[in-house]
Amino acid sequence: MAAPESSLAPPPAPPPPPPVTARPIVEVENVTKAFGDVVAVSDVSFTVGPGVTALLGPNGAGKSTLFRILCGLTGPSRGTVRVLGENAREHRNVRGTIGLAPQQDSLWERFSALEFVELAGKTHGVADPAAQARRCLAHVDLDPDDPKRVGAYSKGMRQRVKLAAALVNDPTLLILDEPLTGLDPVQRNRMISLFHELGSSGKCLLVSSHVLDEVARLGSRVLVIAQGRLVASGDYRRLRELMDDRPHRIRVKSNDARRLASELIGRGLVDGASVRGGTVLVDTLNVDQFGRSIASLSAELRLRLLEIVPTDDDLESVFRYLVERR
Amino acid sequence: MNRYVSALSAVGITHRLLVRQLLSKGRVAALLAVGVVISLVVALVSRTVGDDEPAEEALELGTALMANLGFTIAVPIVALVFAAAAFGDLKEDSTLVYLWLRPMDRWPMVVGAWLASVTVSLPLTLVPLTVAAVIADVGAELVWATIFACVVGNLAYSAVFMLLGLLLKNSVVWGIGYILIWEGFVAGISSVGERLAIRGYTRSVMAERTGIDLDLGNLTSTTAVVVLTVVVLVAFVLSSLRLRSMDIA
Repeated sequence: MAAPESSLAPPPAPPPPPPVTARPIVEVENVTKAFGDVVAVSDVSFTVGPGVTALLGPNGAGKSTLFRILCGLTGPSRGTVRVLGENAREHRNVRGTIGLAPQQDSLWERFSALEFVELAGKTHGVADPAAQARRCLAHVDLDPDDPKRVGAYSKGMRQRVKLAAALVNDPTLLILDEPLTGLDPVQRNRMISLFHELGSSGKCLLVSSHVLDEVARLGSRVLVIAQGRLVASGDYRRLRELMDDRPHRIRVKSNDARRLASELIGRGLVDGASVRGGTVLVDTLNVDQFGRSIASLSAELRLRLLEIVPTDDDLESVFRYLVERR
Repeated sequence: MNRYVSALSAVGITHRLLVRQLLSKGRVAALLAVGVVISLVVALVSRTVGDDEPAEEALELGTALMANLGFTIAVPIVALVFAAAAFGDLKEDSTLVYLWLRPMDRWPMVVGAWLASVTVSLPLTLVPLTVAAVIADVGAELVWATIFACVVGNLAYSAVFMLLGLLLKNSVVWGIGYILIWEGFVAGISSVGERLAIRGYTRSVMAERTGIDLDLGNLTSTTAVVVLTVVVLVAFVLSSLRLRSMDIA
């Protein structure tokens, strides 16, 4: 697991996923998890093999709950979860094959990074936990000899301590819950490269994020979860196309909104339009065509365009769309 | 890759980790102060008995003070603070996951946590109370009774309060409720309450070893030790089951 030569270089393109083994490493079947009346995860099924798989979803979508179920930290209300064919909640040995970097920013504050990771190695029964802890800290660009307590570390350094601790047992399944939060761009590149390297070596990495750009760089396989449901899965490029192909809503302010709306519909430049005061709300499947034609149309009609704003270009609306289309 | 941690290693790892986590300066200083103040009161009041008074009367006063202050307040409170925190703190700050998601059986973790609690809390009560019994100078019986009752009481309270820390939020508040309401009140008015109060067994040890009659102290030391051993074992089993089945943040 060598670090890349230049930390400033962009991370390499995601490598092709390793060949799929006979049995998936993670199997999730119809899993539902409810906390009282709140359904955090609803009827989710998927399988994951070696390589990097990104779990994409907005905050509160159920990503962390799903990870906790995979690790056996909580049981599903319904459905089954198997890691390497077993349930981590019940089988001790399976827990030794999992490395988890949880989302919460909690560490044993009075430990140094080396002590923390070494202890993680001891609790995993690693043969030489001190040496392995040093190697793992070096992988994540932390100084094993730093005597500072982790309580004095920055958010980014604490993230890397969690990563090192998750790596210490050389896990088959590595579950990383929002691992890039708090890292600077250079460190993000380094970590993404490390993830790809681990994935290429045959490990199964499940990495969650709520940031689309991060997911684009994490891997070609994506699971999208929103409102507790798995709303899309598969190749990232296909998902990206799906997102680009969805209907977009754009707010256009003009000195004659009514006329502009009627011309847009009459010429087939939009799929729908509604007028509210001096504003036209436009629905279109072809944003590019709309963008190209709106300026020339307004010039032709001698209208003044005061504002053009996409109203649904945030990730939340993408997720909403994916939920609605299911 | 089938790697797991042996039971003995798991006990040792959990013990070392939790001793370090429990030993915060503020907590140790505050609870040491409780032990020292109570010990000073026991020692000084016992010495107020004049030289012309019968030795029996001095021993009676010393034993009553030790039983009422040392074994009603110091031993249970100190054990509560550390034992409830053993797993309770990890649960509260979401670091239990770093111990739970490991190829370790649950019962050695429970034993390690209990030993960690005992390692920290026992010296904080045993030393000041024994010193108080020595300073009181009312006879060796009180010294040995204090040591014996302190050890068995601490072991039992630590097991019960460790379980409480796994079961409940705000376990220290619930523990204080148990000490004050159940042990301090219900045990005194009901025979069932008496049998379900650890205090009754520590007082029985004190009463038998000193030969002084104490309320709730009407059992033999052997019975007290047997019952408290069962209490510890039941607490271990329940803690292990709880640790296995609980949701981890």
